[in-house]
Amino acid sequence: MQKQKIQIWDLPIRLFHWLLVITIALSYLTIEIGGIWADWHARLGALALGLIVFRVLWGFFGNKQARFSQFFPTPSRLIQYFKGQWQGLGHSPLGALAVFALLGLTGVVVITGLFANDDITLFGPLYPLIDQSLSDWMTGVHAIAFNALLTVIGLHLLAIFFYWLVKKNNLIKPMLTGKKYLEIHHHTDQTKAEAKPVYFFISIALTLLVVWLTFGNVLTDLLATKPVPQAPSSQSQW
Amino acid sequence: MTKLSLLLTSVVLLNAGLSHAGPIEDQIKYRQSAYSFIGWNTNKIKAQLDKPETFSKEEVIAAANAIAAAANSGLGALYGSGTDQGEGWRKTRLKSEFFQKPDEAKKLATTFNLEANEFAKVAETGDPVQIKVKFGKLTQSCKACHDSFREKDPK
Repeated sequence: MQKQKIQIWDLPIRLFHWLLVITIALSYLTIEIGGIWADWHARLGALALGLIVFRVLWGFFGNKQARFSQFFPTPSRLIQYFKGQWQGLGHSPLGALAVFALLGLTGVVVITGLFANDDITLFGPLYPLIDQSLSDWMTGVHAIAFNALLTVIGLHLLAIFFYWLVKKNNLIKPMLTGKKYLEIHHHTDQTKAEAKPVYFFISIALTLLVVWLTFGNVLTDLLATKPVPQAPSSQSQW
Repeated sequence: MTKLSLLLTSVVLLNAGLSHAGPIEDQIKYRQSAYSFIGWNTNKIKAQLDKPETFSKEEVIAAANAIAAAANSGLGALYGSGTDQGEGWRKTRLKSEFFQKPDEAKKLATTFNLEANEFAKVAETGDPVQIKVKFGKLTQSCKACHDSFREKDPK
């Protein structure tokens, strides 16, 4: 049977994936060590926020295989998949479940992190917008959601090994190169699927805007009712 | 049975022998106040390290000495048995494990005291680079105890 090399993961998707892997690993490492590394946990939080915002935008405006509508795991698609009838490029319906779980949980971790505190020197950039008790609650959710995220990452890795060893299907290489050898009948589905470059730049611009609004203290300066904890000490005479 | 009552009696006697700072609620209140005061001073230093243009040697020394003074005030007296339950300014987050692992608790507490005093010495140099490194050590000693003996979520 004739096989053909087909691009299934575009560069933004691959960069997103591997940068997120690195970000999650380093975030965990830096907060575990603490001390001066806690600052890096916050910086990595900014990167994680940017990655998630970009991926969500790219899920609407991106190339075909990146778009949520293309792989949303509807019940009918899942049934097809389990009957072995699913044919397609990109995320399989089961893989799509993992994608949404990973994106959703990372989103919860990132958003709660914006409001969280470690009660030592680390305060999320939006901490000044809420009460300490709510921030403590957010911190708890931040930790629980991260543990859930680790569990789903574990399942994700198990699935990849299962595909590799049992189904003889290497999923890692396409995530690195973007390309996959496929039997030619898949090719019928390859319509013009690339997003206009302008959508990429709009997504990047909106991502930077969101990161700037949160981590650039713009939102807190506009909305905060209490002083930022890092504010310089007052120059009282006693 | 007799063993148990003997144990209980000795625990009661032992507690009576230590000079704890009054009722459970007071102990919790005092220690929450102490750590809150330490936190205020810690974040004053952090703010100055983050924004070098606000760095003031005198203010850092004052804050470092305040932390060391709080650390040297004998905070251990505020950890009488039973103080893992109860309310000071708010419910305590002290884990019961604190009393089951007294050696570890002591080690973490003395590490904090040591780092607080070391930090006060380094603060005298006025060198932001050295101060930052030692400051990291100090906050790590806070974190070590939080990780081991402090509930993640408010009770």
